[in-house]
Amino acid sequence: MIKKILSIFKDSSDSFEGQEEGEQVLLLLRRHIFVVLLALSGFALVSLVPVLIATIFSSYIVRSGLLSLFLFASSIWYLFLWLAIFHFLTMYTLNTVTITDRRIIDKDQHGFFNQKVSELHVNRIQDVTVHTKGILETLLHFGKIIVQTAASEKQFIFHQIPDPEKVKDVIMQAIASKKPEMRSI
Amino acid sequence: MNILPVELIFNTLVGGIFLLYWVVVFITLYHLTRFGIGVQPKRFAAIFLLGVVILFCVSIFAYVNVDINSLLNKFTS
Repeated sequence: MIKKILSIFKDSSDSFEGQEEGEQVLLLLRRHIFVVLLALSGFALVSLVPVLIATIFSSYIVRSGLLSLFLFASSIWYLFLWLAIFHFLTMYTLNTVTITDRRIIDKDQHGFFNQKVSELHVNRIQDVTVHTKGILETLLHFGKIIVQTAASEKQFIFHQIPDPEKVKDVIMQAIASKKPEMRSI
Repeated sequence: MNILPVELIFNTLVGGIFLLYWVVVFITLYHLTRFGIGVQPKRFAAIFLLGVVILFCVSIFAYVNVDINSLLNKFTS
């Protein structure tokens, strides 16, 4: 029973809302973990603010009997810092690119109540470009993927995607596997 | 006479902060569990909930230890 409950943290079929019958998820992409680590290091610095204040004004806080109030204010600071960290992580985890054997779904979450979902059918893809720019992107293997659709004006750009070459291959394979179907139509 | 309203204001303010906190907690958990794809959002939700409960307990403990009346007396005298 406990094992079954805990399995939701380990196994997932990556199913999503609006998934068609028989539709297989090939890849579920999020931005590179470097983006998260960068933001978390910023949050770590912010978390030091009460510690810094305590270090600088410790004698004044204790002398004027403000210690309990200071500790309470610090706890409120950490409460809202925790919310801010997980607001960022929620946005990160909800910003996904799902590649299935039929389509590519790009979910852009800009805030709790601001979401944009774009969908692109595999048979409308014309070409896929991988763009890796700079030392960090090259060393950490992440970059931009540009998917050009049949309609010349529409372009799908996925930023900071890890292992973009592999992603490109998966998209190309999905296109290739759809080609016989297209011919039969 | 003057102390009671200030204490009331302080308690109401703290109550408002805690209410706001739980509203944002609910919205965050709802988004992670309702719209998340894969295991990562579920893991985040579990860690988030654990942290939320621990930090809230710490805050309540710190709040109980604040004696706003004695603080006010100190600053007014």
